[in-house]
Amino acid sequence: MNPKSSSRFVRVPSAAWVITLMMIIFTAINPRYLTLDNLVNIVLQNAVLLILALGATLVILSEGIDLSLGSVLTLSGVTCVYVMKHLMDSGASNALAMMAGVAVGLLTGVLMGAITGGLISIGKMPSFIASLGMMGVGGALALVLANSTAIYISNPIFSFFGEKLDQSIDLPLMQYLSMPTFIAIAVFSVVWVMLYHTPFGRYIISIGGNESGARLSGVNTVYWKWMVYLVAAVLASISGITLAARLEAADSIVGVGWEFDAIAATILGGTSFAKGKGSTGGTVLGALVIGVDRHGLNVIGVPSLWLGALTETIIILAIAFETILSRWKEGRRWVWHE
Amino acid sequence: MGLARVAARGFVPDLERPWMQSAARFIVLILVCIVMAVLTRSDEYGLVFLNVRNLLNIVRNASILIIIGVGETITLTAKDVDLSVGSVLSLTSVVAAIMINRHGVDYPFAIVTALLIGAALGLINGLLITHVGLPPFIATYGTLWVLFGFAYLILQGAVIYGFPAGFRVIGNGNLFGIPMPIIVMAVVFVSGYFVLHHTTLGRRFFATGANMETARMSGIKVDRIIITAYVISGFLAALAGLVLIAYTNGSEARIGDSYLLPVMAVVVMGGTSLSGGQGNLVGTLAAALIMAVIYNGMNILAVPAIWQSLVVGLLIIATVLADQWLRRRA
Repeated sequence: MNPKSSSRFVRVPSAAWVITLMMIIFTAINPRYLTLDNLVNIVLQNAVLLILALGATLVILSEGIDLSLGSVLTLSGVTCVYVMKHLMDSGASNALAMMAGVAVGLLTGVLMGAITGGLISIGKMPSFIASLGMMGVGGALALVLANSTAIYISNPIFSFFGEKLDQSIDLPLMQYLSMPTFIAIAVFSVVWVMLYHTPFGRYIISIGGNESGARLSGVNTVYWKWMVYLVAAVLASISGITLAARLEAADSIVGVGWEFDAIAATILGGTSFAKGKGSTGGTVLGALVIGVDRHGLNVIGVPSLWLGALTETIIILAIAFETILSRWKEGRRWVWHE
Repeated sequence: MGLARVAARGFVPDLERPWMQSAARFIVLILVCIVMAVLTRSDEYGLVFLNVRNLLNIVRNASILIIIGVGETITLTAKDVDLSVGSVLSLTSVVAAIMINRHGVDYPFAIVTALLIGAALGLINGLLITHVGLPPFIATYGTLWVLFGFAYLILQGAVIYGFPAGFRVIGNGNLFGIPMPIIVMAVVFVSGYFVLHHTTLGRRFFATGANMETARMSGIKVDRIIITAYVISGFLAALAGLVLIAYTNGSEARIGDSYLLPVMAVVVMGGTSLSGGQGNLVGTLAAALIMAVIYNGMNILAVPAIWQSLVVGLLIIATVLADQWLRRRA
C-alpha cells in the first residue's frame, strides 16, 4: 500500500481543495469576492445544476450515462412555460396555469425518462447511444415548440419559485434565502433518502457494482435500471422548471452543455464510472466547484470572451486533479499498472 | 460442426460476418435512395434526386462526415469515443482562417499548421486518457467545451469570410470532373482502410480495443496505440475542417458544433461497436452516405433545419435497435 493513502491531503475530498484554492485566488484578485451576498448568489445559481447533477449521479452510480439530461431540462422548461402561457392567454388564473404548466413539465420528464430508460433497460441499448439519440430528439422538440427562440412568461406565482424571498416576504434576512435553494435542498433530501434508505438505492448501487451479480441474486435489473433513467429525467425536468421560473422565460437552447456540467459535478464529487462508488454529498461539492468557477470568473471581471475557454479549462483540470488524487487514495501511481 | 450449425440456424444469414453487415448497409442505402427519389419526384422537374449533380452533391456533403468518421472509427476500434472532433474541427479551421485571411500567411503553411494543431489536440486527448486516467468520454467531452471556448476566444465572435482561390481548390475544385472533397475523402478512406486492415498498427488497434490487458501482455504498448488513434482522429478532424471552410469560403467558432450527433450516428449506424475492437470502416462509409441522402432529401422537401437533429436522433435509436434485434434472431 502506498504510504500517501493515509495522509490528510488525500483524505479531504479533492473538490474541497479545488473550491478553497479557487476562492483564495478570486479573493486575492478581487477582495470584494468573499461577501455573504456573493456566496448566496453562488448557492442560488447553483441550485439548478445541483438538481440536475443529482440525477446524473444516480445514473452514473448504476454504471450508465445519460447525455439527454440537458435536453430534458430544456424541453421541460419549454413545455411548462408553453402550456402556462397558452392557459394564461385563454384567461386561466395564474395559480391554475402554473399548476398545469408544472404538471406538464414534469410529465415531459417522465415521458422522456421512460423512453430513454426503456431503450436502455428493455431494449438493451448502450446507455451512451440511447441517450445521445434522445438528446437529439429532445433538443429538436424544444426548438420546434419554442420556435427557436425564448418564450417569456410573467406569472408572479411561478416567478416566486425562482427568486430570493425578499421579493415577496418582508422580513429581515430574507435576501439570503431563495426558493431554488429550498427546492434543491428538498430534492437532495429525497434523493438521499432514496439512495441510502430504500431498495431503489441498494439495487442501483448493486447494479452499478456488478449487474449480472445483482440479476442472479434476484434483483429485477430491467425494472430498476428503467427507474434510474426515469428518476434522473424527472430531476432534470424539476431543474428545467426551476430555471424557467428564475429566468421568467424558457429558452430553446438553454440546456445545451448542461449535461456535461452535471456529469462533471458528479465526477468531481468522487462518483466513479468504475464500480458503483460515490455519494450525493460529493455531488454537492462537485456542483459547488462548477458554480464557484463560473460565478467567480464573472465576478473578478474576466472579459466575457475569455469566460468560456477559461471556465471549461478549469473544470477539466479539476477533473484531472480529482482522478489522479483518487488513484493515489487507492495507492496506485499509474493508470494501467495496478 | 459447420454443417450442424448451418442446419440449426436454418437459412438465416450470418450477420456477424463483416461483409454481410456492410452489404446490409448498402442495401439500406439503396432503399433510402429509392424512397427519397420517389418522395422528391415532382411533375414539373421529374426525378430531381437522381440528377448527377445532386448525387455528386450528396457524396460531397457526405465527404466531411466520412473524413471525420474514419478517425472516429479508428478511436472506437482502439479504445473508445472521441467526442471532441467537432470542436477540433472548429478550432483548427478558425486558426487556419485567421492565418490566411487576417495575417496573409501562405495557405500551404496555414494548412500544415492547422493539421499539426489537430494532431496535437488529439495527442492531448490521448494523454488525458492514458496518463491522467480520465474515462475517454469525460476527457473528450471536456476538451469539446474547452476547444469551443478557445475557438470563440480566438475569433472574438466574428465570422471570417473569403479565402484565396488557391486554398479554395481543396473545397470547390474539380479533378477529372470529380469534386475535390470526394477525392480527399477517397484518399482518407483508402488509407484508413489500408492502415486498419493491412498493417501491424491496424492489428494493434483491434487487439487493444478488444482486450487491453491481453494486448499489453502480448507486448503491445497500449498507451502509444491509444494515443496514436486519438492523434489520427484529431488530424482527420482538422483535415475535414480545412475542406469544409475551403468549400463554404468562411469560418466561424460554431462551425463544427453540429457534427457531434451525425458523426456518432454514422459510426454507430455503420456497425462499429462502442465497446472497442470492432471497427467497420465500410459500414461508416455506407452510413455516412445514408445520412447525407436523408439530409439531402429533407432539404429538397424543405423540411425545416430544426427537425434535422430529431431525425438523426431517431435514426441512431432505430438503427441500433434494429441491429440488435437482427443479431438476436440470427
